[in-house]
Amino acid sequence: MNNNSNKMFFLFILFFSTLISISSNSWFGCWIGLEINLLSFIPLISNSKNLLSVETSLKYFLTQSLASINFLFMILIKFSLLKNFNMNNIISIMMNSSLLMKMGSAPFHFWFPNIVEGLSWMNNFMLMTWQKISPMILLSYYFNKNFLIFMIITNLIIGSLGGLNQTSLRKLLAFSSINNLGWMIFSIMISENLWLFYFLIYSMMISMMISLFFLMNMYFMNQLFINNMNFFIKLNLLINFLSLGGLPPFMGFMPKWIIINFLLINKFYFLTFIFMMTSLIIIYYYIRIIYSSFMFNYFKMKWVNLLMKNNMSLINLSSFISISSMILSTFIFM
Amino acid sequence: MMKFLFMMIFMIPLCFMKNMFWLVQMMLFFMMFLFMNLNLNIMCFFNMSYMFYCDIISFGLILLSIWICSLMIMASESLFKLNFYFNFFLFNVIFLLIMLYLTFSVLNLLLFYFFFEASLIPTLLLIIGWGYQPERIQAGMYLLFYTLFGSLPLLMGIVYIFNDLNTMTIYFLKFFNMNMYLLYISMIFAFLVKMPMYFVHLWLPKAHVEAPVSGSMILAGIMLKLGGYGLLRVMIFLQEVNLKLNYIWIIISLVGGLFISMKCFCQVDMKSLIAYSSVAHMSMVIGGIMVMNYWGFIGSYILMISHGLCSSGMFCLANINYERLHSRSLYINSGMMNFMPSMSLWWFLLLSSNMAAPPSLNLLGEISLINSLVSWSNISMILLMMISFFSAGYSLYLYSYIQHGKYFQGLYSFYVWFISWVFIIIFALISFKYDNFKGWFYFYLILNKK
Repeated sequence: MNNNSNKMFFLFILFFSTLISISSNSWFGCWIGLEINLLSFIPLISNSKNLLSVETSLKYFLTQSLASINFLFMILIKFSLLKNFNMNNIISIMMNSSLLMKMGSAPFHFWFPNIVEGLSWMNNFMLMTWQKISPMILLSYYFNKNFLIFMIITNLIIGSLGGLNQTSLRKLLAFSSINNLGWMIFSIMISENLWLFYFLIYSMMISMMISLFFLMNMYFMNQLFINNMNFFIKLNLLINFLSLGGLPPFMGFMPKWIIINFLLINKFYFLTFIFMMTSLIIIYYYIRIIYSSFMFNYFKMKWVNLLMKNNMSLINLSSFISISSMILSTFIFM
Repeated sequence: MMKFLFMMIFMIPLCFMKNMFWLVQMMLFFMMFLFMNLNLNIMCFFNMSYMFYCDIISFGLILLSIWICSLMIMASESLFKLNFYFNFFLFNVIFLLIMLYLTFSVLNLLLFYFFFEASLIPTLLLIIGWGYQPERIQAGMYLLFYTLFGSLPLLMGIVYIFNDLNTMTIYFLKFFNMNMYLLYISMIFAFLVKMPMYFVHLWLPKAHVEAPVSGSMILAGIMLKLGGYGLLRVMIFLQEVNLKLNYIWIIISLVGGLFISMKCFCQVDMKSLIAYSSVAHMSMVIGGIMVMNYWGFIGSYILMISHGLCSSGMFCLANINYERLHSRSLYINSGMMNFMPSMSLWWFLLLSSNMAAPPSLNLLGEISLINSLVSWSNISMILLMMISFFSAGYSLYLYSYIQHGKYFQGLYSFYVWFISWVFIIIFALISFKYDNFKGWFYFYLILNKK
């Protein structure tokens, strides 16, 4: 079902549903947006010819509708029992839990790597980036600070330690996405603008990686060194992974640095330490992937054209952007 | 200052053109001579512009880094002959040089951290890409993770300072007192790992041994000095905590230096021996910086410069032996004087400088350091005596094992001399002796000023 124009219809409703959800005046509107989101995402990922696809979409439907039901129930309890508008109470914990489950954040993350394993790369891209927008913004409207800080720590630790034993590239990016959710939840507690900044740069980095894997048709780690990869593709892989891990001088360092700035302004010293150390573990398994692709030598047959498929010229541009964007970003303020 | 940055940036397209290997190396030499002629002022920051500056320490270290980068390219001639991705190698070297140049010359502490971290990436690529053994995978991991583990708290410290002082300019930091224990640990730990200090030194023998000759030269020559430079910049605003807590680092590094010097005698690999001797010298440098007096400052700076030249030269010589005999083991490399007698001159000059024999610059540095450490405490006389004695011991051990005695019976034949090596060695030694004379001259001037 590639390039199916029917999917355009569902994609449009998907985008629209997020807008409904984040711009509604009432909590009911938010819930309606979430339901339409679920409803329009299912046709995008289900493909009746492939049994794994069907199973994945069923799993997705079950978990997300459970979370939505929970959300609706908690909204109703909040309306009927609470007369005040204070945050940081028990009901906000329940509402936040349902939203965290929608996002795939720990400790409700168990569905996330499973489902990511069953989807194609483009669907994964939608799942990892766009589907996070409306739960995050709804999270920022009514949250419990202590609960969310605990969830951030859980996210960071599970995201970093869970990816250590993976060989499937999709599951690896899923755990990396869980870790980045920790950073994003913190940023949305500070300000929505800050979250938007982190989210945009994260989406850009994930899109570069996923487009690279999609064009090379790579799903597992052993495909990194069996393929006959061009040198520039490997370099791009290196730059993207190190950027995602937050190493200077690449683009991915900037959002992490700004989040650390706000962490220290608000005096979360121990939390900053956990952010840094889990980041180190993530860089460890990224470097393992980079080693796999760089070190093992491949067969250099001369009559096989080193795979420069269509649309690959963008890849060189994207790695150039990754390297130089830190320097170019200083020109914004001139 | 910007002009050198642009010269280096525009050398990058030059790396990818055909037959430009030696041109890049000549341009680096040219740049070094240009840089040497900047106006130098010992007592203050000079050549200040919007984001760059030069201090006496920055000047010397930038000069050292440009020099070692050009020598690196000269020493890697075999990459060019064997056509082993030398374009990307040149790009790596120039990129590393840019990052090091920027590390030593930016005014902003956060930008210093940014380029400090950024210089790790090309070093990692050099070790993984052009190293000789499969153990380089583990070596790259150790290098990256030891350094990152130290430097992430440094980022936290820098951002905390920014939030407190609202400035990041290195020049203004001396007007403030940030005397907090946790800030002190987070700022200093990165540089102690980089130096390296005794307990966190495990990355260094691995990384130095597994790196190719260019990687070893730059690691021993400059990357260790990044730690020293950082310490010299950061301790200014932490003075009271320094006075209370520095004794810990001095004791650890001096006793550790003693243990490492003794471990040097047990090494079979030539490069491993030189790597451990780097740790021992750097332990004295840490001691000198931490006592916080003027002699210590000068001694550590001089020892950093001289150790950079000396260690890089020794790695280069070890690689000459490795290329001919394909082994770094002492047992196979013995009795070289029978085959390459002129080489024994270079080994002797560099190893005598390593053991701080007169008239080398190392001697000047060690004398100043001994002065400063003994003025801090008399008991350090014992440790310093042992460290100096053992450094003489293992340098002599290495020299006599390699040069004297009967040669390994399994040697068949090998090519004795390449002409470009002559240039490397001549240049290395000329710079060395020039620095020696300049160093003693300045020493004399400074003594007379008081």
